[in-house]
Amino acid sequence: MKVGRRPAVLLAVVLAVALSLVGSRSAPAAHASTKAAKLTIWVDNVQKPAVDKITSSWGTRRGVDVNVVFHSFGTIRDDLKTVKAENAPDVIVAAHDWTGDLAANGLVLSLFPTKALKKQFPKYALDAFSYGGRLYGAPYALENVGLVVNTRLVKVPKTFAQFEKEALAFKRKSPDNIALAVPQGSGGDAYHMYPFFSGLGGFVFGHAKNGALQPNKLGLASKTFLNNASLIDKWNREGLINSKIDYGTAKNAWLKQQAAFWITGPWEVDALKASGNPFRIIQLPKIKYQSVPFLGVQGAMVTKFAQAHGVESLAKDLVASEMMKAGFQLDLEQANLRYPANKLAGKRVNDPILRQFGAAGAGGVPMPNIPQMGSVWAELGGAWVKATKGTGATSARVAFTTAAKNILDKIAGG
Amino acid sequence: MSTAERQAELALPSVAERRRKKRSGFADNWWRHLVALIGVVIALFPVAYIVSAAFNGDNSLSGSSLIPRQLTLDNFRSLFGTQRHTTGHATFQNAHYLSWFGNSMIVAGGTALLTVLLSALAAYAFSRFRFRGRRMGMLTLLLIQMFPQLLAVVAIYLIVLNTGDVFRFIGLNTLPALIIVYLGGAMGVNTWLMKGFFDTIPSELDESARVDGATPAQVFWGVVLPLAAPVLAVIALISFISTLNEFVIASVILETQQKFTLPVGLWQFIDQKYSEHWGPFAAGVLIAAIPAALLFAFLQRYIVEGLTQGAVKG
Amino acid sequence: MSAGTRALSLPTRLISAFSGTVGLVIKIVLLSLVNAFAIWAAVVLSDHHKWRALGLLAFVTAAIDAIYLTRRWTLPLKFLIPGTIFLLAFQVIPVAYTINVAFTNYSTGHILSRSEAIANIEQNSLTEAGNGASYAMTLMRSDKHQLVLALLDNSGHAFIGTPDGLRPIPRDQVTIAGGTIASAQGYTPLKGTELGSIDTELSSYKVPVGGGKAIEPQGFDSAVVLEPTYRFDARKDAFVRVKDGVLFKDNGRGSFVAANGAEIEPGWKTYVGMRNFGRIIHSPLIRSPFLKVFLWTMVFATSVVFLSFALGLLLAITLNKPGLSFQRTYRALLIIPYAVPAFLALLVWQGLLNDDFGVVNRAFHTSIPWLFDPNWARVSVILVSVWLTVPYFFLVSLGALQSIPSELIEAAEVDGGGAWQVFRKITLPLLLVAVAPLMIASFAFNFNNFNNIYLLTGGGPALNNSPVAGATDILISYTYKIAFAAGKGQDYGLASAIAILIFITVGTISAISFSRTKALENLA
Repeated sequence: MKVGRRPAVLLAVVLAVALSLVGSRSAPAAHASTKAAKLTIWVDNVQKPAVDKITSSWGTRRGVDVNVVFHSFGTIRDDLKTVKAENAPDVIVAAHDWTGDLAANGLVLSLFPTKALKKQFPKYALDAFSYGGRLYGAPYALENVGLVVNTRLVKVPKTFAQFEKEALAFKRKSPDNIALAVPQGSGGDAYHMYPFFSGLGGFVFGHAKNGALQPNKLGLASKTFLNNASLIDKWNREGLINSKIDYGTAKNAWLKQQAAFWITGPWEVDALKASGNPFRIIQLPKIKYQSVPFLGVQGAMVTKFAQAHGVESLAKDLVASEMMKAGFQLDLEQANLRYPANKLAGKRVNDPILRQFGAAGAGGVPMPNIPQMGSVWAELGGAWVKATKGTGATSARVAFTTAAKNILDKIAGG
Repeated sequence: MSTAERQAELALPSVAERRRKKRSGFADNWWRHLVALIGVVIALFPVAYIVSAAFNGDNSLSGSSLIPRQLTLDNFRSLFGTQRHTTGHATFQNAHYLSWFGNSMIVAGGTALLTVLLSALAAYAFSRFRFRGRRMGMLTLLLIQMFPQLLAVVAIYLIVLNTGDVFRFIGLNTLPALIIVYLGGAMGVNTWLMKGFFDTIPSELDESARVDGATPAQVFWGVVLPLAAPVLAVIALISFISTLNEFVIASVILETQQKFTLPVGLWQFIDQKYSEHWGPFAAGVLIAAIPAALLFAFLQRYIVEGLTQGAVKG
Repeated sequence: MSAGTRALSLPTRLISAFSGTVGLVIKIVLLSLVNAFAIWAAVVLSDHHKWRALGLLAFVTAAIDAIYLTRRWTLPLKFLIPGTIFLLAFQVIPVAYTINVAFTNYSTGHILSRSEAIANIEQNSLTEAGNGASYAMTLMRSDKHQLVLALLDNSGHAFIGTPDGLRPIPRDQVTIAGGTIASAQGYTPLKGTELGSIDTELSSYKVPVGGGKAIEPQGFDSAVVLEPTYRFDARKDAFVRVKDGVLFKDNGRGSFVAANGAEIEPGWKTYVGMRNFGRIIHSPLIRSPFLKVFLWTMVFATSVVFLSFALGLLLAITLNKPGLSFQRTYRALLIIPYAVPAFLALLVWQGLLNDDFGVVNRAFHTSIPWLFDPNWARVSVILVSVWLTVPYFFLVSLGALQSIPSELIEAAEVDGGGAWQVFRKITLPLLLVAVAPLMIASFAFNFNNFNNIYLLTGGGPALNNSPVAGATDILISYTYKIAFAAGKGQDYGLASAIAILIFITVGTISAISFSRTKALENLA
């Protein structure tokens, strides 16, 4: 290596730049002992305005800085597993079916609301957020599907036989018509199909004595259900249910009046109103048993990070007390258009559509919240697809028996 | 300049030869038009549905009708915040579209430029030098990218998370962090493509320049790069477009609305389980496709005509 | 002629720009910036006490300096280093991380550290004692400024709770309003914003009431009587179930487990050696469908690559004709599928291919079960993937065609070779030198193309005779099914182990293909 002016120039530039950079470096983050405690909440963009509203008044009252952070709903659950403690939320909004996963991972804290407050909730809403007999979340909103009937095209059915007759008669009127717009598609949709499943006596997991779900007590291929399953084959033959209808097809068919019946939920309220079609929402009429839908419960949880952040009591005060009260739940109902979980708030809901959806959920079953449910969705949906794909369909008995076997295999683990 | 003269000597005959152009009339070319038209129809057919969804008022990505039920510009308005987009009673605040767009341009543009630079540097070494581990190195480059990416995201997140603890400007929720993560994939396939092209540039050119006293760096910048314009343009384009559409890593690294890139920002419209809002999403995607198309239109010249503009070939 | 001169003058100018002092200055400035940045980074790292990172930084910087300041033998490195640094950081390290995870039990229920898990079990095993007695609570300070709980039970009895225990207070010493104690003699209630500042003190506050039970505040308004279900015995390093004394011991795989197999959640993350690989070998869920899934993966990846390359090349050659009208427009339109996010296109295709309602069947008056019949679904998946991949090969072929000297082709034509002959003997072999590696890379990409499968068919349709794997499941989508949608949910350890095996498989196939292409001959 030749030694010349080069090293000198190099050294000069290095020193100059380094000095200026080092001089301007940010001081190591001094953990300023701010006086007010700070509570961080992760919330999705739909519910954020309502959460903003209630927490800001609560925060002022309690002397705490509330930091409501927008976080995409779909990623809250998994991001909680990798987030750094400093940036971690103390409270999250959550879907009840995350409960098992988050609790099994030790990421959320159990809650003990007062008896008086708990009485304001239907038992299933609290069960939905319980895992292993402990409560991990404060439910605040319920959602479920109902049977949306276009009253211009058909009469509102009182029995399943009436429904079947009306639907098939409507289908026969035009080759473009669909008897029932219930979404499946090639991937299946066990959620939207659940009323038919429960109406035939099917269930997913059985309960233990303390109310905890039993992953090895599978109700997918129960005797009762399999005995009734020949009805599915009949529906397939007559074209009442067709698995080739996917979400978009179902929605369009109903909007364009090519279907008189649509199984959907409150997330479509805008489309329902804009359609101009006159409609009523009811629970699917009883088949062999009451045809109840799956319930989705939304709520809030306190994370384990609240402890380290020194805001555990604050977080519990917010979640297990403030957010469970009727006032908050009504505010939230206004924001995200879901039926409130608190019964007192439910009585004060004015929106007729929401009330109808609420009624359609009566007796509903919360989607199982244990992590093993992950093994069920695709198989249960797939069984329906196989059994209702028109010509070439598998008999329902075979389809559901196979699904049950696969689910047990999957739960046993890879 | 002796270098230039030498190059001119080498180049002139072949340039002259190349100038003989064949006449081509429609009679000879009808089949080319036919193939191209069929290709275009198949390519655009599904895209037409995205266009339809963008102008459709009902927010569906419908597979059943190409003509929108209600023709509207609402989806575009809602992107720019002049239209409040409602679901239930809630309102999305969408005025961020322009910043998403800007972020995407910065990230995709920066990544594309640096990718071209990094892969060209490496390809030059692989093409022009003979060194130990060369063969192994090139194989490794390609093989390492074959690792299933399903799980790598977690690792990338953790790396950026920890880097960001110390160096804020390349931590989570920063655009530079995203760019440097993308640069991890800069070499790989691109280096191979580039090296293949460099190999076809006659080495007499470099050698004559070296004889005139040029350093390898000077040969790289002065001789090889200008001649490699087509492949540089191809790689810039591929890198730009794939960065523009990348979702998984961007969604893990970017956290706030102001920092989102287009795919991450637009994803919110279809993030809800069933109440997807395909309308604004499709509109946003359409606008986002414009820069990619413009860039291609601009680079086309270099891709297909870069060399015929009188450059030098064996 | 003038065009030629212009093109030549550019390199000349660039060479002069990089020669002599200017080039040297640029080099020195860049290198100085790197060094300056390194010094700054070193200071910041030492501020944060990150000594290992500091060592790494010093090593990398020294290496860079050595490479760029030394003359000869590091020449190739000078060109390779910049890309390699990023490659190491964001490709190699993630691979190393995944390999590391493959030897752990990282999965649902095993993400905390051991000490975190113990703390969590202790806290979350608390249950409401007896009939779940709860108290309306008011926080107060005594004269000595000690924090106490003023508690009111359901039947209206008032108490003062302290860490020493529960003490009843006569009704006449308190006033009750709104169902809680508003004031108590000798104590000052805490109000409003004061509450926010006592959180840490409050959340560990316990009023013991005997028998291991304690009254614990929940928020600021209520307190409940809680008792632990499990107690950690530090000496035995195990949990004891309070009710019956059953011991839950560390099973060495990240869980406390009783003799009968019952397990306490959560567990923790720990190394489990080859266990995940053992599970792969022993699990019928993985073993039985493996060969079928693997074969289909091969068919899928291979046909997508060859079809896409053939079509892309066909289009590129078709449009590589000087003077063809609308040439630019055609090219620009053909690129569009590439400019649209793939997942959106996949969802559109899913709608278009719907058996009964999709446009494709309606337009052609067919009733092909595109997505519902196993074999047709396989065809669909390949066709749609080809649609997505053709623009890439079109672009690449377009670029690569330019590297083939037209003199060669013209010469061949003069020698009387037909168009097809010329293509086969000259164009294709030359093109393959550049494109073959990309085809192999594309093969590997499609081998692991999770998105296309997942978004189009979800791996389905389900096969009647088969367990979990569907007709279009490729190895990586099947991995997803058994590692993220089975058992107890997400099993990163297992997924990583399978990923390594997939990597070895696809790497071997690729390496073999390489040895058969001309690409490597050039490298010899």
